[in-house]
Amino acid sequence: MKNINIGIDLGTTNSGIAKYENGKISIYKNPVGFKDTIPSVVSFRKGRIQIGEKAREHSATNAENVFSSFKRKMGSDEMYFIKDLNENRSPIDLSSMVLNELINFAQGESLRSAVITIPASFDTIQSNATKKAGYQAGFEEIVLLQEPIAACLAYSNSLNLEVASDKKWLVYDFGGGTFDIALVNINERDLKVFDHKGNNFLGGVDLDTLFVEKIICPKIEKQTQENNLWSKLISKENPVYNKLFFELLYKAEEAKKELSIKETSSIEIDFDELEISLDIDISRKEFEFIIQPKFEESFHLVEKLIKENFLSFSDIERIILVGGTTYIPYIRQQLQERTQIQVETNLDPTTAVMIGAAYYAGSKPSELSDEEIVNEPAAEDNSIQVETIYEPHSKDSEELIVILLEESFDGYYRITRADGGFDTGLLKANKKIAEFVPLLEKTTNQFTLFLFNNQQKQVYSNSNIQITNGLYSILGQPIPNDICLELDEETGKSHMEVIFKKNDILPLKKTIYKTCSKNILRNSDQKLIINVVEGNAGSMVGSNLSIGYIEISGSSFEQDLLKGMDIELNFKVSESRDLSIDVYISALDLEISEVFNPHQRKISIEKLALEIKNALDTILEEIRTEEQSENYEYLAKLKRSQESLTVLYNEALENKNDALTDKKYQIDELKKIYIQEFDDLVRHKHILFELEEYNNMKDSLSFYLEKGSPRQKEEYEKITKNEKEFLQSNNKYLIRKKKKELENLLDNIYANQDESYIEYFYYFRLEDPNAFKDKSKHSKLIQLGERAIDNSNLMELKTICHQLYNLLIIKPKRKDDFNTFDGNLGIK
Amino acid sequence: MNTIINQLFEIEKKALEQNFTGLERNLKRIYNELEEKGYKIINPLGTNYDERDSSIDANILNSNSKKITKVIRPTIYKTENDTLQLVQKAVVIVE
Repeated sequence: MKNINIGIDLGTTNSGIAKYENGKISIYKNPVGFKDTIPSVVSFRKGRIQIGEKAREHSATNAENVFSSFKRKMGSDEMYFIKDLNENRSPIDLSSMVLNELINFAQGESLRSAVITIPASFDTIQSNATKKAGYQAGFEEIVLLQEPIAACLAYSNSLNLEVASDKKWLVYDFGGGTFDIALVNINERDLKVFDHKGNNFLGGVDLDTLFVEKIICPKIEKQTQENNLWSKLISKENPVYNKLFFELLYKAEEAKKELSIKETSSIEIDFDELEISLDIDISRKEFEFIIQPKFEESFHLVEKLIKENFLSFSDIERIILVGGTTYIPYIRQQLQERTQIQVETNLDPTTAVMIGAAYYAGSKPSELSDEEIVNEPAAEDNSIQVETIYEPHSKDSEELIVILLEESFDGYYRITRADGGFDTGLLKANKKIAEFVPLLEKTTNQFTLFLFNNQQKQVYSNSNIQITNGLYSILGQPIPNDICLELDEETGKSHMEVIFKKNDILPLKKTIYKTCSKNILRNSDQKLIINVVEGNAGSMVGSNLSIGYIEISGSSFEQDLLKGMDIELNFKVSESRDLSIDVYISALDLEISEVFNPHQRKISIEKLALEIKNALDTILEEIRTEEQSENYEYLAKLKRSQESLTVLYNEALENKNDALTDKKYQIDELKKIYIQEFDDLVRHKHILFELEEYNNMKDSLSFYLEKGSPRQKEEYEKITKNEKEFLQSNNKYLIRKKKKELENLLDNIYANQDESYIEYFYYFRLEDPNAFKDKSKHSKLIQLGERAIDNSNLMELKTICHQLYNLLIIKPKRKDDFNTFDGNLGIK
Repeated sequence: MNTIINQLFEIEKKALEQNFTGLERNLKRIYNELEEKGYKIINPLGTNYDERDSSIDANILNSNSKKITKVIRPTIYKTENDTLQLVQKAVVIVE
């Protein structure tokens, strides 16, 4: 036989649902938004039914359509007239709607049995009404549990308390809108409420309004010309004051939370309409002073309850706290000081009741037969014919979803977005439903369509409605090649970084931040070069087409541009393929903007010559390594490339000052062709080489990784996250970059290992003694170091290494000093 | 992180109100970094309030209020395991 396992706190102000599983409690989160609870509020407006936060939004301005605190009327014959439906609804109906909303939290699970909590004050009729609401919500089995008992269960189970003899606990429940206290008798067998009291109109909300009235308003009046501010705020005469009231109420609630942790808090009010702009400091003492009367009200009830039961505080073993208001330190302190009873503060008082209900449900066998009970996938009626029509790609901020239903369907529909930011609420379903849904930019928006029957029970869901905004679309035209920025890789070498990927859809824009890789002094003819090329990101820079080129000379600087300074680059490619580049150097406050059209190319013959020279250097390097392997055919091809590029290089130099003819365009064209040929020849080999290097590095790192800190392990995960993608990118620069990142990580982990000092020591051992300040000390340290290695005394070796390092006249470069190279372009 | 983003939002709001443009680039830079870290920050100021928008906690001034005229804090989404999740609702005034 299975247990019930589901516990529900159906509160006057807020409600929540939790589940018992394998000895643990988990709280179901609201899939729309991210909270543990929902306000027990239902609104009916213009055919839309909303439950929870969205319903509450309308309570001030549309009170006739918004229903709350109906729990207080449970069991009465009071009916609420719903204008929108032209029908009446009972408190049971509204409660069952809240319960149904909670059932939706457990998406995909069929919940048939539940424990629902009720106040200790509920009589038989009220209790039965709650049960009825549960059955109406679709539960087949309802077990009721008194809220104070649930709270006590939550504490005793969470703290693993063993109660051997009779004890009395006091449950102090100060919620958002109501206050309740109960005396509970607890022993090894059972828990029993033996008396209770309450005030249905005392809650945390009252404290917030007091905060505004008694603290904030006087302070505003003192610093401005305003008077009678509180009465203006609450009167309906001037909407500007109502607006201020909302803002102050929100800020008061935030400050109240802050004052639970800190001694002081400050509120900043910036309200243009009334020209109020000021900061208000509030101390915890001030807050405590104004809430004191409310606490006294609650405490008076506590004293009365104790007295009426002929008890004294010393008869009570603990005080159990429930409700968000009990977070306030003043309330906790006062309770402790004035009763001298242990106050339990270990659990979250806002979820204690539902947690206790779930513990109870976890121990309560269900009377339904096994196959009928909880946690099986929800049974949906697959026979409903539903056709969903929508555009899967969109460039707009909203998109239409059309749902066609069979004629006979009678019920409601609801559409939510998986990120929690959109929810239609319940709407009456017609044969044809059309709903415009908002899309978050540049992401895939996943929507779920739910259908409910008239009892609000889910009968159909489809979570596969995906609409992608802006990422790719049949409407836009894709770019045919990568668009890349040339960056310094090390002295004399550059690589390309992708700004926009092949097939990205026009128009495009992106901001990237880079740093300066060489010092460019003001009034010098040194240049910072921004070169944007179109082509294959994995090939050599020179084999691509330069589509945007900016030279910024030191002669235009008012200050020196130094290595490490930030360079901000904004790139835009319009639908007609115009490329705009904005360069901003904050240290110089220098901004340069240029727009390049595809038909107006800018070519620098110097840059051309440099690219050819770089290619020639690479070819020469390749020839030298290949000469050993006697691969004559390959060598011959390399030499042909070398010859053609050498001729071209000389031509570029000869035409350096030619400003008239088209020569430089011809050289540029040939340069691309020749370098491309060479690149095709070697790229595959280079990629294989980089792949091998990467894998070797990863192997070496795998040995040390477990010795790394959690942060270093996290970094490793980050570097290797999209491994498959970058290893298959055919981009040697990208693979090399990743390898370097792994190498740095390995160095950092290794440097923290004791055995790394053996390596350091041999570095010092092999260094010329003249490189050290004090030769005799150096020689002594070397002897001591050798002995330390013989004795495996790594701690001593560590000290010796530090001393040797301090003796060095010129300190060796650190491994990460490769970052300090001087680049050609000036940007990396 | 939400607190930091809210403070940043306040700074931006103040700079804008006082026509102080000196911080624009720095703020843009910070927002860019936050975006790289998976945060999506939305300021719904000036847009029409959509009652279906559950990323917003609205204080509605009267029954025919439509426009978001004040944003006390922005909406924040965060990418977790490649999907966006709401991590903070905006608090706004609709009038």
